[in-house]
Amino acid sequence: METNATTSEKAKEASYKSCFEVIGPIMVGPSSSHTAGALSIGLIAHQLFKGVPKKVVVKYYESFAETHKGHGTDFAIIGGVLGFATDDSRVPDALKISESKGIDITFIEEPGESPAGHPNTAEIYLGDDNRSARVVGISVGGGLIKVKHIEVEGFQLDPGEMPVVLAITKEDNFEIELRRIFKAYEVRINDFNEFYKEGKYLYQFNLNSQLTHDAHEELVSLGDMVNIIVLN
Amino acid sequence: MYMSIEEIVNAANDNQKPIYELAISQEMEQTKCSYEEVWSKMEANLVTMENAVNRSVEGDGVFSPTGLTGGDAVKIKNYRERGKSLSGDTMMFGVQNAIGTNEVNASMGVICATPTAGASGTVPGVLFGIKNTLELSREDMIHFLFTSALFGMVVANNASISGAIGGCQAEIGSASAMAAAAAVEAAGGTPEQSSHAFSTALQNLLGLVCDPVGGLVEIPCVKRNAVGTANALVAADLALAGVENLIPADEVIESMYRVGRRMPAELRETGLGGVATTPTGIAIRNKILGTDS
Repeated sequence: METNATTSEKAKEASYKSCFEVIGPIMVGPSSSHTAGALSIGLIAHQLFKGVPKKVVVKYYESFAETHKGHGTDFAIIGGVLGFATDDSRVPDALKISESKGIDITFIEEPGESPAGHPNTAEIYLGDDNRSARVVGISVGGGLIKVKHIEVEGFQLDPGEMPVVLAITKEDNFEIELRRIFKAYEVRINDFNEFYKEGKYLYQFNLNSQLTHDAHEELVSLGDMVNIIVLN
Repeated sequence: MYMSIEEIVNAANDNQKPIYELAISQEMEQTKCSYEEVWSKMEANLVTMENAVNRSVEGDGVFSPTGLTGGDAVKIKNYRERGKSLSGDTMMFGVQNAIGTNEVNASMGVICATPTAGASGTVPGVLFGIKNTLELSREDMIHFLFTSALFGMVVANNASISGAIGGCQAEIGSASAMAAAAAVEAAGGTPEQSSHAFSTALQNLLGLVCDPVGGLVEIPCVKRNAVGTANALVAADLALAGVENLIPADEVIESMYRVGRRMPAELRETGLGGVATTPTGIAIRNKILGTDS
């Protein structure tokens, strides 16, 4: 029997905050969730790994597993891994481009249910000889995505709402320096988490708005003492 | 932030403001962008839509890599030029632009998702369909898109605009309802009439399943945009004629969500049901993707 939706099965908060998530994005077809959204999940992996990987493994679940071939999801995800935007005309050629760069790519259709509880789920692993990164993302419709899980430098976390700045450092008390920079550029912080593992700290800042160019420059100018990762 | 259609209608009436102004104000507030930035972003979306419909009727038209869809916008254009269409030229020009946009999408060309790529023909179909009839200026057309967006955000935030979650009713249904509401405003209707057009359009497409053949955004998606456009124009005309929809828009959105939750996964963008699993649908899939996939 059909029943009224309960609050537990339905998010009451506004996931779509900009009208350009409904009219937009400008993108290469054919599917906003399976092409543009898939590309955005790939782009998160690109931002996390920061560089061209040697090996990529993509696992698809549910609708992604059933229809990735028809929707161009493969080239879209790899387009994101290569750092392309949704309207970049190179997107349909992303698989050929990655082949020419010698990247080893594997696509796996997982038979089971999504670990993230959503039909449009992709897990992306990027690696080279020294390091690796992993992203689990869901494409919720119209090109909008949510990142449910990331792994980088031995840390595992749910990064929450984008945009996010992750700072990984061995320096003690580095949070103060980061907060000083955010304050100087009037960047508001919605949420903060701190992780510690094997001599390293990971600071997670969920921002209220996109990081401005100047604020980003100053974070990057901190140099080798901290790995700054911006996910958006 | 407007979380219901009722809030939008009340705000428009209380402040004596058009709905597109509410949309622009909300966008500036939410994203901290200037009026000019917000405006030029929407203008870029309009330009993308115009480029797509223009491309769809160049030469023999555009074709998808599979060859399953393409060239129909040109056929419709030629048919229109004979002046004997049954449903009139506003309707058929809208349908031509809707199909043309989705042919460009299926060909992996550049489109603007409205609210999705699979449904990207419906909003521009209605907009370009009524453009000449209502003598819309460029400014009016950008207003139309802002109004569509504000209605669409309520659907996206209360139900879903994803075929994988809610079926095609969440994509073409939402697009059609958004466009119907904006068409009423463009034609000089009241906010209440926009709301009636919205609820009529969405109610008419309740239960529509997402059943892409071979998982491709081609069959039946391209033609569903033609119907989304036609449905929006009919719903807008009904509302402008004073015909009311007794089920309020917000309740129709809620019911769309509930119907979507009751749909089996086979009918939610998996290509495992509906026309995708007809003998011909399966044959097409096997031919294009191989029998083992």
